Amino acid sequence: MQSISALKAGARGRGLLILAAAALAWAAGGFSSRRYVSPFPPPSEMRVPAVGATGDMMALALGARRLFADLWFIRLMQYYGTREFSGEEESESAGHNHEAEEHYGEGKYPLFLPMARHVLEVDPAFTAAGLYGAASLAFNMKRGDEATELLNYALKYNPRGRSGATQFSEDRWKYLTMLAAVGYSKSGNPVAVAEAIAPILKDPDCPVMLKQLAAFLNKKAGNYAAAAVIYADIAATSRDEAYVKNARRELEKLAGIKRQGPARGASR
Amino acid sequence: MTACAVSFSGVEKTYKRPRLLGAEYHTAVKDLSFEIPAGEITGLLGLNGAGKTTIMKLITGLLFPTAGQVRVFGQPPSDVAAKARVGFLPELPYFPPQVKPADALEYYGRLSGLSGAELSRAVESSMKKTGLEPHAGKRISEFSKGMLQRLGLGQALLHKPDLLVLDEPVSGLDPLAIHDIRALLAGLNAEGCAIFLSSHSISEVEKLASRVLLMVSGKLAAAVTRAQWESAPGGLEKIFVEAVK
Amino acid sequence: MRNLLIIRAVAFNSFVESVRNRFFTLFAVFAFTAVYASVLAGVMAVDQEARVLADFGLALIELTALAYSLFAASSTLLREAETKTIYLVFSRPVPRWAYLAGKLCGALLTAGLMLVVMAAMHLSLLAFRGFGLPAFYAWALAGTFLKLAVIISFAFFVSLFSTSAVSTLVIASIMWTLGHFASEARFLAERAPGIQGAVLTAFLWLIPNLQLFNARDAAGAASPLGLAVLFPAAAWVAASCLGALWLLSRKEF
Repeated sequence: MQSISALKAGARGRGLLILAAAALAWAAGGFSSRRYVSPFPPPSEMRVPAVGATGDMMALALGARRLFADLWFIRLMQYYGTREFSGEEESESAGHNHEAEEHYGEGKYPLFLPMARHVLEVDPAFTAAGLYGAASLAFNMKRGDEATELLNYALKYNPRGRSGATQFSEDRWKYLTMLAAVGYSKSGNPVAVAEAIAPILKDPDCPVMLKQLAAFLNKKAGNYAAAAVIYADIAATSRDEAYVKNARRELEKLAGIKRQGPARGASR
Repeated sequence: MTACAVSFSGVEKTYKRPRLLGAEYHTAVKDLSFEIPAGEITGLLGLNGAGKTTIMKLITGLLFPTAGQVRVFGQPPSDVAAKARVGFLPELPYFPPQVKPADALEYYGRLSGLSGAELSRAVESSMKKTGLEPHAGKRISEFSKGMLQRLGLGQALLHKPDLLVLDEPVSGLDPLAIHDIRALLAGLNAEGCAIFLSSHSISEVEKLASRVLLMVSGKLAAAVTRAQWESAPGGLEKIFVEAVK
Repeated sequence: MRNLLIIRAVAFNSFVESVRNRFFTLFAVFAFTAVYASVLAGVMAVDQEARVLADFGLALIELTALAYSLFAASSTLLREAETKTIYLVFSRPVPRWAYLAGKLCGALLTAGLMLVVMAAMHLSLLAFRGFGLPAFYAWALAGTFLKLAVIISFAFFVSLFSTSAVSTLVIASIMWTLGHFASEARFLAERAPGIQGAVLTAFLWLIPNLQLFNARDAAGAASPLGLAVLFPAAAWVAASCLGALWLLSRKEF
């Protein structure tokens, strides 16, 4: 019967279809396996805080690392922005202080390093978060060693070497510059810190907190012109009202100093 | 010798329904052999579950026979050349409610390989033949059951088929719609189109068909010609009742 | 040529049906609301607002397009079979491969339109907040489209053997997450000993590595997708289509 041979031929043709499908999928898998170099730290590097395991799972499963790194960064800023009550022996003024620049960001914040590191574990290309974290640790909380640890981690996993990578391989210098500044800070040389971080300030992605720190250090060292330029930049570009208000206030003060003369101003 | 539009030779169709453990098998038609002559109207009568719709689907290539051979104009039903000569109206056809009848017909015309001016002419002709022209501006959601059935018939006519396969074409229609559709089918047959229609209405089949196949529990119980039922006392109805009892 | 016209007709019909479907409107409204909600998150990020807005928007665009595309891909063939529309298609001289290709093209057109519309909303929102076009935006959208193409074709394949649209949705969603875990899974498989590791690695090669197209997350590397990623994307789409055709060619209605 003709239909039996036709059926057999049809079945063979269909069998070839599924074989071709499997071969194609497998070849594509092999190709991508050889070609794809993950720009992220290996899974073993993820130190997931207990409260964030679900979020990190979602970040990986949905391919939304950047989004969840943003959320971790917001959490970090909220944590750091919360006034810290650290026991009976410490007064409230020892907490995070936005008003007085000299004590800006001081406090213990024991989870700051793991939280900052976790932002980079999820998205190692989040340079602004790395710089913000390191600067806060080194210059506000006076924890230079932790800042160094964070910067070393950031340098280790900063995505570079991928074909076409340009922007973030350039970001390495920012971390290296920050490492130098942390070193100067440890050795008690604020002028050198201000000079070291000056190139980073020109970057549009530079954390405003770092700008404020640079302005403050310049002001303290009597370099009013440089401080005024940085405050003006903060007032013009920052979206944080607290920083903008402070920058305007400082600009007014600096204008007053200029009117009174540099000698009197320097003595302040 | 009359040319053959459809031939069934020892056809069996068994449905397999997967179950938790193994499968359940149901044979819808068995050892079925018959022919539908070209240019004639052949009716298909049977109770529910007799295998009428299975036969229609086997002819249109929607089902594949488990055993035996089905040929449509000498070709397997799944062959593009065979399908190009067949128009099919399933029971209760569905059309997207938001579109206008001409839009639905255009889509099916394109699937039948029509395009450009030929497609426009085919749509216009189908609308005219099925009496849908006055309703051209309406959306399908506004259509009555009778109008939907006309549209279903219209899509089957688009590519001027040599064989029309109609599953319950007058089911649920009002008498006037039935009259119109009957007239339309008679006209198409007069133009040389073979028609194979199934129905629960014996009188309807009796009025149109020149030959009727009687299906009982998946088997062909009898093939009755017009001359046979016209000469029998009690007509086609009595023959049918005796066959299914 | 004739078959190309059929593919075009099925694709256009499928596209128009999707766009008419009220779910499309619902998703558009949802997307707009969700993107707007991201403005609030942006405010919380202060100086990183531009980055957060871009990331929130792009992720929501992708998830919304994914949800709608998967919903459409997993239900379209089942719905056509249930409404018997498929009878009117396959009783005509329409090759099954052409129908499948048309349906896939229609689904991809719909996904593409969704991406374009939502991206326009998102960019308007960014402009409203005073931000320009993020550097990697076009690449991120292109990557999202490739991921959607892979998963939509996979959903078509699954819908031909699964018993309901819900089970297709679940299986395709699992594949979506597995696809993003592909490199982590391979990292672990490569550390498995001997033949066990080789077998596991070979098996994992069957799972499409969606991270390959995730330009949105890999924006840090500032690396455009590159033409080379089109090959695995095309291969995975073709593999799913061949698998679907294998099932459809003997499917009865």
